Amino acid sequence: MSNIFKQEVVYALTGIVTLLMIVEYFFFATNQIWAETIRTWAVIIFNISLFLGAIRLTMSHSVRIQGKRRDWQFSGILLAIFAIMLLTGVAGYISTGVQTSNGIYNWLFNYVYTPLGATLYPITGFYIFSAAYRAFRARNIDATLMLIAGCLVMLKNAPVGEAIWIGFATLGNWVQFTGQVPGMRTLAIVGALGLIAFGFRALLGKERGFYAGGGE
Amino acid sequence: MSLSKLADIDRRVFYWILFIALMVPFLSPIGFPITIAPNTQDLYDGVTGDEVGEGEVWILNFGYGVSAWSECHPAVTVCTKALFREGAKIIITGTHYDVELTYNKLLDTVPDFDDKVYGEDYVFLGYMTGGESVVAQLGSNIASVFPQDHFQTPYDDIPMLEGIEDHSDIAGVLSSDTGDYGGHFMTQWQSAYGTKLAEIGIAMNGSTDLPRWQAGNFFGVSVGSRGGAELELLIGELGEATTAMDSISVSHLLLILAIILGNIGVITDKLGGKN
Amino acid sequence: MAYPTATLDVIGLWVGWFLMLMIYSLPLYKENVAYRFAEHLFIGVTLAITAITNFSNIMRMCVTPLMQGDILMIVPLILGLMIFTMLIPEYRWISRYPIAIMVGAGFGLGIRGTIKPNLQDAIIDTITAPTGGGLVDWFNYIWVAVGLVCSILYFMLTYEHSGVLKTPTRIGRLFLMIALGGYFGNTVLFRFTMLTGRAQFFLQVLKLIPM
Repeated sequence: MSNIFKQEVVYALTGIVTLLMIVEYFFFATNQIWAETIRTWAVIIFNISLFLGAIRLTMSHSVRIQGKRRDWQFSGILLAIFAIMLLTGVAGYISTGVQTSNGIYNWLFNYVYTPLGATLYPITGFYIFSAAYRAFRARNIDATLMLIAGCLVMLKNAPVGEAIWIGFATLGNWVQFTGQVPGMRTLAIVGALGLIAFGFRALLGKERGFYAGGGE
Repeated sequence: MSLSKLADIDRRVFYWILFIALMVPFLSPIGFPITIAPNTQDLYDGVTGDEVGEGEVWILNFGYGVSAWSECHPAVTVCTKALFREGAKIIITGTHYDVELTYNKLLDTVPDFDDKVYGEDYVFLGYMTGGESVVAQLGSNIASVFPQDHFQTPYDDIPMLEGIEDHSDIAGVLSSDTGDYGGHFMTQWQSAYGTKLAEIGIAMNGSTDLPRWQAGNFFGVSVGSRGGAELELLIGELGEATTAMDSISVSHLLLILAIILGNIGVITDKLGGKN
Repeated sequence: MAYPTATLDVIGLWVGWFLMLMIYSLPLYKENVAYRFAEHLFIGVTLAITAITNFSNIMRMCVTPLMQGDILMIVPLILGLMIFTMLIPEYRWISRYPIAIMVGAGFGLGIRGTIKPNLQDAIIDTITAPTGGGLVDWFNYIWVAVGLVCSILYFMLTYEHSGVLKTPTRIGRLFLMIALGGYFGNTVLFRFTMLTGRAQFFLQVLKLIPM
């Protein structure tokens, strides 16, 4: 009996919600209040679920500090800055309703988060550069085509390409607007078909991978 | 030095070469000319002239964070200026948790805000998240997603939002993102209701967005900082993207040189093997 | 934005500059204490920002309407709190209910939304012949049409790519390689633009170029 509430009822709930969203779109001319309610609930649940990541990360770093594992000092720094920003942000929110009204939070947001956030992702640009030299080899026709298309698009994107030879811009535009269209459109179509298939599997209760605990 | 020995050079040498090469054009600008791509021209035409009516309400969605400011922000700046100059009103939303930083940067980079009144000409509703669900719900009932704006002012107390309830009251959407939200607006707004939609995306999204522009899902697409530079040229106010184009040119040339050098090694090795 | 004059802002600018160099010490030098410090600092700061932003979101969308009389908002609040049972192994199954609602809504919206733009519009644009077009337009039209069919055939993994399917799937793979090459070219612009932004910031803080 309890297994029904752990499995079948859950799968049925997924299927019903999926079906309701589809029925609203195809059988009603306007948005329906019951569908809006479900969507609003889904959004709120999504927002609350994002705290899970924060909790898990806090737990794992706390364990590292307790066990004095490798780099535990950095975990301490992580939790300390997390606590400072959280407390100051909440203080700002409580006083004015906007977290950045707290001076400390605002300063950390502007002068610690911004440069770090703007710098961490771009270091992949360095790795693309070394990969281009070491790994991008035209060993066969497939790789050669890929490299040529890539280089033409690069020369089209960078103004220097047109300055060297106007043909680079022409060819690059052709790759952008025609050459790559079949491949990219295929990925979109195949992705859409996959989503529909996956969605109907979820509707029928066959797809269970995203439920905590797997197939219990 | 033989070409094969080049492969033994520490990769950090290449990184330093790139790091320094990126800075040189800022100190000594070159100024290569830029031509306008048709997708960018369509985007500009869609936010200017007869395409935008006085008093129309547009949504500008920030789907990018601080790391993509140099990619998306110049184009967003131009489009915001263009909409304001046509007399449109703008609702600013964001799907990135640091959207307030991007909003503050927009206030900095668009001088037209000085003549506009918050709550009457523009409003910052704030951060939303929830993927396809939140975008769909925004289309059917904006106030349910934003009962207040970012500064806690109730939705009903904001003058420009009077009568603005759902998609039918929105003239168009400009989605600027690093991820999926442009696609969500396409599936939940453009295809469902026919709302005008344009994408101001990172260059990586250009490959997926251009076929959508060709199919008519987007009325225009700006591809990364190149799109931003083209838009700056169209509006006649050169800015950050144009300044960065010289550096982009140098870095791209270096990369292509690296690819050519790497492949010359393949060819010479093969010829050496055959001999 | 002009170069700041307030002391705290100038300090902040230089703090950001040094943090940037700490991050760049990884590719330009090697992994070191400074990089790990900056990395952990970033994770801690991002975690806090995400937590507070989501907290204010929940207050805005759920708690404030609930306190203003919308009793129904208690339901998503309770469902959302049920998600945290994921952390307790013996009660983990309770979290499946809110997940079921999220997943169901996402799938339903995805299915209904993807059909027109990703299937119908894409196919119509592909099969619509150019009107009054020249040789180049017709070449492009045939390129896209043939390429699309061959590329889709490549993804038909339930049949072996041999016999009748061998040549079209091989052609499809080549079309996909061209598409990936174009995608790579655009990715390079994206990555290098981000680096360019940082190079500009490096020089602006040193006042070598105007801010």
